[in-house]
Amino acid sequence: MQITQFFRRHPMEIILIVMFIFLVFAAPGFATVNNQLNVLRNITMQGIIAFGMTMIIVSGEIDLSIGSGVAFSGCVTAWITRELVDVTGPFFAITMGALTAMAILFGIGVLTGKLRQHFNMPTFITTLGLLTVLSGAANLITDGFPITSFPYEFNFLGSGYLFGIPFPVYIFITLFALVYFLMNYTSFGRSLYAVGGNLEAARLSGIDVWKTKTLALGLTGVFTAIAGVLIASQILSGSASAARGWELDVISAVIIGGTSLFGGKGTVRGTLIGVLFLGVIVNGMTLMNVSEYWQYVVRGGLIIGAVWMNHALDRKVKA
Amino acid sequence: MSAIVETQGLTKVYGNVVALDKFTHRFEKSRIHALMGKNGSGKSTLVNVLAGVVQPTSGQMSLNGKDMHFSSPADALNANVVTVHQELSLVPELSVAENIYLGRMPKSHFLGISKIDWTSARTKTKILLEDMKLEIGPDAIISSLSVGQQQTVEIAKAMSFNPSLLLLDEPTSALASKEVEMLFRLLRRLRKQGTTMMYISHRMSELAEIADTVTVLRDGKHIGTVEMAETTNSDIVDMMFGNVAHNRPAERVSQADPNNAILKVQGLSRKPAYEDVSFELFKGEVLGIAGMLGAGRTEVLRSIFGADPFDSGEIIVDGQKIKDPDPQYMTEIGLGYTPENRKEVGLVQAHSIHNNLSMASLRQNAPLGIITKAAERPGVIKQVDNLHIKIDSAEDPVSSLSGGNQQKVVFGNWMNTNPKIMFFDEPSRGVDVQAKQQIFKIIWDQAEKGLSSIFVSTELEEMLEVCDRILIMREGRMIGELDPSQTTLTELYTACMEGL
Ligand SMILES: Nc1ncnc2c1ncn2[C@@H]1O[C@H](COP(=O)(O)OP(=O)(O)OP(=O)(O)O)[C@@H](O)[C@H]1O
Ligand SMILES: [Mg+2]
Repeated sequence: MQITQFFRRHPMEIILIVMFIFLVFAAPGFATVNNQLNVLRNITMQGIIAFGMTMIIVSGEIDLSIGSGVAFSGCVTAWITRELVDVTGPFFAITMGALTAMAILFGIGVLTGKLRQHFNMPTFITTLGLLTVLSGAANLITDGFPITSFPYEFNFLGSGYLFGIPFPVYIFITLFALVYFLMNYTSFGRSLYAVGGNLEAARLSGIDVWKTKTLALGLTGVFTAIAGVLIASQILSGSASAARGWELDVISAVIIGGTSLFGGKGTVRGTLIGVLFLGVIVNGMTLMNVSEYWQYVVRGGLIIGAVWMNHALDRKVKA
Repeated sequence: MSAIVETQGLTKVYGNVVALDKFTHRFEKSRIHALMGKNGSGKSTLVNVLAGVVQPTSGQMSLNGKDMHFSSPADALNANVVTVHQELSLVPELSVAENIYLGRMPKSHFLGISKIDWTSARTKTKILLEDMKLEIGPDAIISSLSVGQQQTVEIAKAMSFNPSLLLLDEPTSALASKEVEMLFRLLRRLRKQGTTMMYISHRMSELAEIADTVTVLRDGKHIGTVEMAETTNSDIVDMMFGNVAHNRPAERVSQADPNNAILKVQGLSRKPAYEDVSFELFKGEVLGIAGMLGAGRTEVLRSIFGADPFDSGEIIVDGQKIKDPDPQYMTEIGLGYTPENRKEVGLVQAHSIHNNLSMASLRQNAPLGIITKAAERPGVIKQVDNLHIKIDSAEDPVSSLSGGNQQKVVFGNWMNTNPKIMFFDEPSRGVDVQAKQQIFKIIWDQAEKGLSSIFVSTELEEMLEVCDRILIMREGRMIGELDPSQTTLTELYTACMEGL
């Protein structure tokens, strides 16, 4: 009885563990420390954004622009570095670049929220437009060629190790903890759920519904910029073609983690599981030499399966 | 007399809760059967089972002597078992006609292509509404109607199915006397035509007027059935609550301080909803606003609270002029508003009872923006106890509560903010007689501690009982004021209907 209860409450965890065990035996090289660290590093960038995306989706909105946002922030950082590095030295130049990228994406998130508030523009539409706008902007900045203005030391951020663990993992964990705290222990987090669950009821309860949504969009902008800087560090350049198509991976991870696209329901803990799940499965399939096309099919099927399962179990738990 | 519906050991279990417990009874044909019981006693569950909305856990039912298995509400409708549910279920964006004929719009055929016949839909709706003497047009959009008007549309929709068994789950909870009378005329006519009805209400006064038999449930069990002609209200109450001490309406002296107008409204207008509304609310006062459906009471309250805009006029709270009220600011300075339509705007249905009871007090409980469940729990426990909210666990979704218990959550959510001024819009809608007294008592106790409140109810008896002073609103205007202690029910009714 208790075991079935546990299974119903945490289905994705259990499937993740089962799959993990399966891959340990089936996928050559899966169980090595190096490979596991590799998986971790691969999931951090998208994971960071997925944490922010959880807040947005719970609040009843969506952000489709993050793929371009990542590329754009990498390019902005690289461009500012190139312009400033001779004057100020690399450290200050890169810092300025990264902060600028964060500020711009925060601003764009806020703007998206304001458009939603004052002109009733669905974020689905605004951010779909932004996906193209930001991609264009990134290409304008780079003129179509990656900007390779970074000194080699900058590579540490995205590819380096600290105490044997990839550096981005620390950022990943920190931001997870931050979002976890925000969503569970702050009035902002509680408002996210209320606003996504019933906008009018939240408004009539004196909750600042627009500030809540706008802040979620803005914060995710900052997270997107952080991921962009990390990617730029990994590839040591600002490239307009980085992170193409990420929006679907990120949203998939959030949904696999049990967050409802209708808003009001979901946890960042679930998203963490969703992110790990996708990371492990992609890695496992690659090690097993599954063709890339099949990987797409499997991942797509997983999303559908996960949503169906969450829905079915939800009804079981209620009945 | 022959039975139309017979149930044998009908049981419905939700998780740990036995909502309906071996309910066995015969309902006779062509009669009006009242179902009574306190909040959460299983009345709606019985109706939902009969209407095919939920499946019984065990037990049998038969309709006209034949086994009855409804696997969906559509099955029930096909058998002419029609339900008016406790919570409204109209599509807010659609018109009255579209709602009534939802999914079965009349069609016309042209060159073999079938298309919706709007003229016929509109005409049929019009006839239906006129037959019920309703002053609503077939093209009115549902969301523009008051909750009471929506309820009448819901009833009209039920009529359009030609019910042979009609299940009415608190059809009058949002109706004023005029509409109630209209409904009763309709029900009597249906009874004459052979329709059987089950009728749920918490308004005792309606029973004598409309019910033939009364069936009482407690904790999901069938306690007993009596002929209305052979029983008294107090017998019914005894059956409903068992042998517990009853709350009697307390003697009360007004706490209003006529020298301290905590809220002043001057010349407030938003055409066409209301016009030139002026009044004062004194500290410690319970001020009623009475009027018919559509008189503009809710609209005025919503504007003052900042939920809707207004065109012109002044709002002064505690001597301070409020420029552009919005709910967030008004909540901050100590106002509160319990909306009349709990399902749509009062609650987040999918969220827990705990969260719904802590929503309005969120910022108070989190002065630095940081909140824990533990910080909120005292408020949750307090309201569950004070209001006798029947719950299994505070972590259950609020949607699992019975209608009356959900209403108590709306009330409790606001009492947790320790408000200075409260607007209660139908606070007792769907709440049982005892819990109602409890709510009134809380309003009075708080008044003694300085709470000033505005009280709106379609039940005029209630207004006379609760309020210190009653303003009369008619067609969007304040037309005068009455002293409840000097006013009879008939006088109040006439004032609302025809003016002073
Ligand atoms: N979907 C559900 N999930 C869990 N529990 C439920 C659900 N629906 C009803 N219940 C429980 O079943 C019991 C009976 O509820 P029901 O709605 O039938 O009461 P009621 O007599 O109609 O009350 P009210 O007068 O407040 O409308 C309650 O304890 C309620 O919490
Ligand atoms: Mg009910």
